[in-house]
Amino acid sequence: MALEQFSDVVQRCQGLPDDSYTSEDHNIFTVAGRSCIEKGDSVQVLSIVLDEKNQDIVRCMGWNLLPPLIQILIKKEDKNLSQCLAIFNHLLERCQPKELLIGLLEQLEQDDPDTVAESLHLLLNPLQKVLLRLGSRKASSLGMTLSSVLDQVAKLPLPYTKEQEEDDVFSLCRCCTNLITFIRPFVQEVKQNLQNSEELSEGKRMGGQNMDELRTELLKFCMKTLGHPLLEVQLKDPDTLVESPLRTFSTEILNTLSAIGEPLPSLVYQPLLKRKQVPGFLEEEVRYPKESLASLAHLVFVHHLAADTFPSVFSPVFCLRCNMEHICLLLSRTKETRIQKGLELYEKCLVRVEDGSLPADLLEIKTFLTVPQNLVKVMTICSRHDLRTRGLKVFQMSIDKFNTEAKHTFFQYMLKTSKHSGVEGYIIKNIKNQIDTALQPGNSNTWFEGVHLLPLLRKVLSLPDGPETDLLEYLDRVMESLNLLRYLVIRDKVTENQTGIWTELYKIEDSFLKPLRVGLNMSRAHYERELHNTMETKKSKAKEESVLSVSVGDETLPNVTSESQIQALHSALHTFDMIESVLVRIEELIEVRDNL
Amino acid sequence: LKMAAEPTREWSDEQLKSDDLPKKDIIKFLQDNAAHSFLNEHKLLGNIKNVAKTAKKEQLMIAYNELFESKRFKGSDPVEEATQQVKAVKIEEKAKEVKAEVVDEGPPKYTKSVLKKGDKTNFPKKGETVSCWYTGTLEDGTVFDTNIPAAARKKKQAKPLSFKVGMGKVIRGWDEALLTMSKGEMARLEIEPEWAYGKKGLPESKIPPNAKLIFEVELVSVD
Repeated sequence: MALEQFSDVVQRCQGLPDDSYTSEDHNIFTVAGRSCIEKGDSVQVLSIVLDEKNQDIVRCMGWNLLPPLIQILIKKEDKNLSQCLAIFNHLLERCQPKELLIGLLEQLEQDDPDTVAESLHLLLNPLQKVLLRLGSRKASSLGMTLSSVLDQVAKLPLPYTKEQEEDDVFSLCRCCTNLITFIRPFVQEVKQNLQNSEELSEGKRMGGQNMDELRTELLKFCMKTLGHPLLEVQLKDPDTLVESPLRTFSTEILNTLSAIGEPLPSLVYQPLLKRKQVPGFLEEEVRYPKESLASLAHLVFVHHLAADTFPSVFSPVFCLRCNMEHICLLLSRTKETRIQKGLELYEKCLVRVEDGSLPADLLEIKTFLTVPQNLVKVMTICSRHDLRTRGLKVFQMSIDKFNTEAKHTFFQYMLKTSKHSGVEGYIIKNIKNQIDTALQPGNSNTWFEGVHLLPLLRKVLSLPDGPETDLLEYLDRVMESLNLLRYLVIRDKVTENQTGIWTELYKIEDSFLKPLRVGLNMSRAHYERELHNTMETKKSKAKEESVLSVSVGDETLPNVTSESQIQALHSALHTFDMIESVLVRIEELIEVRDNL
Repeated sequence: LKMAAEPTREWSDEQLKSDDLPKKDIIKFLQDNAAHSFLNEHKLLGNIKNVAKTAKKEQLMIAYNELFESKRFKGSDPVEEATQQVKAVKIEEKAKEVKAEVVDEGPPKYTKSVLKKGDKTNFPKKGETVSCWYTGTLEDGTVFDTNIPAAARKKKQAKPLSFKVGMGKVIRGWDEALLTMSKGEMARLEIEPEWAYGKKGLPESKIPPNAKLIFEVELVSVD
């Protein structure tokens, strides 16, 4: 039935000019034609479609047959597969490119990952063919296509381990490989055009606006892929995985950027080098999304992709400065993939710089202050233990690269802004190490002994809230301060007073040691009373209904038992003992001096 | 640096050629009177005995003549000279640009031989943008970097490397050397590791630790 209708309408329209086809003709062709294919009459449809006499109607309406054809081609099981393929290829050549494009893109839209992968694999090549038929008008269509394709790619699960990349169960790697083949002729076109226009003259560009648009669409595409999937995946090094489709894909994207006239150094160093304002229809932000540039920097500096296109003359300090923008962005995100890449990039840049070489004026650059702040967040609240540890390692490395003046400035800044006792304690330990170094023969400097040390010491040897300071909350900081003070009174002889500590001591006693004594006594008294009360309560075995309960997730935590409470209180008291022991030792050492 | 009266020319060409005039004397004269960069270019720096061993009479004669022709006497260098009398100098530079902490200036850690003279008028100043073609090799001849495309035809499409000179954006050897070059000049630079990539090198770019780098640089333009 459908076949008769189809055959009829085609015959009726033979020889008629195509603007005289009625909308009913269109309708019957479409409905009947689709029905034939779905029912399996592809052989007949094929012969009708191939018939020379029918080429006008095929050219005009043939694209409507795409949906059922593509469905069959995706499923690959139909017994009429080869006929459908033949019809499909014929249509690709004969029908209007713009209409074919619409038809193909419609079929690209799929929901489940398996079909997404299969439709991409099937349709990229046809899409390329059709786009190439558009000639000089292809740019915006290419843009639309690339955008749809990437939307589909975003639906595919990403491989994380080496095995997952090898197995490529969801075909993401295959898609990426196909994408490179897909864009190749367009990249080539832009590249050729750039070469030709250089040879002609400086300003004149062949192909004018069209070529600019094409170039821009390819740029947009590369930038998008740098965001996804490339910023998400962990590339494996050649030692781990010799053939890596994702690494190849990344390299090809970088090469594409170079080919279309976006040299990699400019892109990486973009925050610092003055870029010419490029007249175009995309603003800077959209043209060069910050996350994509950060991803690019990571690929170049951590994975050394396209390294041979990168000049080896830039100074390591300049390299660090430029990358700070990218590092800052990556470390400010909460997604762990971003944080990890930020840490890797930072580490790679720091390693290239000599220890003790970075000057203090770098700290006038905003990113040199925001990056450490972001690092503190990573070190203290990131949920992944390995990232916290790595963050600390990179933090220390960054300190080591500063020269002494810069370290001094940095320590002051961190003490002022980190608002975290553990970090403050860590900084104070660093200060101690620097003083120790300065006191060694030959290393004398004005920053960690003498004039400049004292203001720093005053900030360290103090209690944040005076005698009311919560010693348990500030334990790390307080202990490190005490350790530092103890170190100073032992190491710096009274007679030498290189650090100036002995002349400051009376002030420190008033502002630090005495309030600490008071605070210790108060805290100890409080906790001892608590302990006594708790033990009394335990004895009387009164089962108290707690006023509050704590739940994590869906689980209510058990109430703190008396035993654990007692344990906690003992632990607190033990901590006070620990603090006191250092305090006492310091007081002893000072007394010795007093008695001299 | 203002100089006193220009030194007088003592020797004629015949006298220079003659065996009666020892090379040492000519070398001493040149070292006493010529600008540092002049001596550098003509390979006349260092211990007089050593220079005498390597320099030929003809070379010295040419250098002597060129000195009076170009008038590149001491104090005429655009670049500050470090003479032997100056002890370790602490550089107190309150520059806005970033410079690594320098305590001991010492002698420059690079040498320059001019391969092709520049216009000798357009010298870049700190902060100006320069453009260069270059090829970098290690001492063993390995080329680790170049921006000169292999095919001459492609040279039209390639661009020279552009950057602001004297701002610490490139390795120190480059920053220092380019300030002494004029537009159009092509020079061979041999840069000690301290003014290149130092102890660390750049492993991913084939530069080993403590590598002395050799560059052929052509200064194409100065903005």
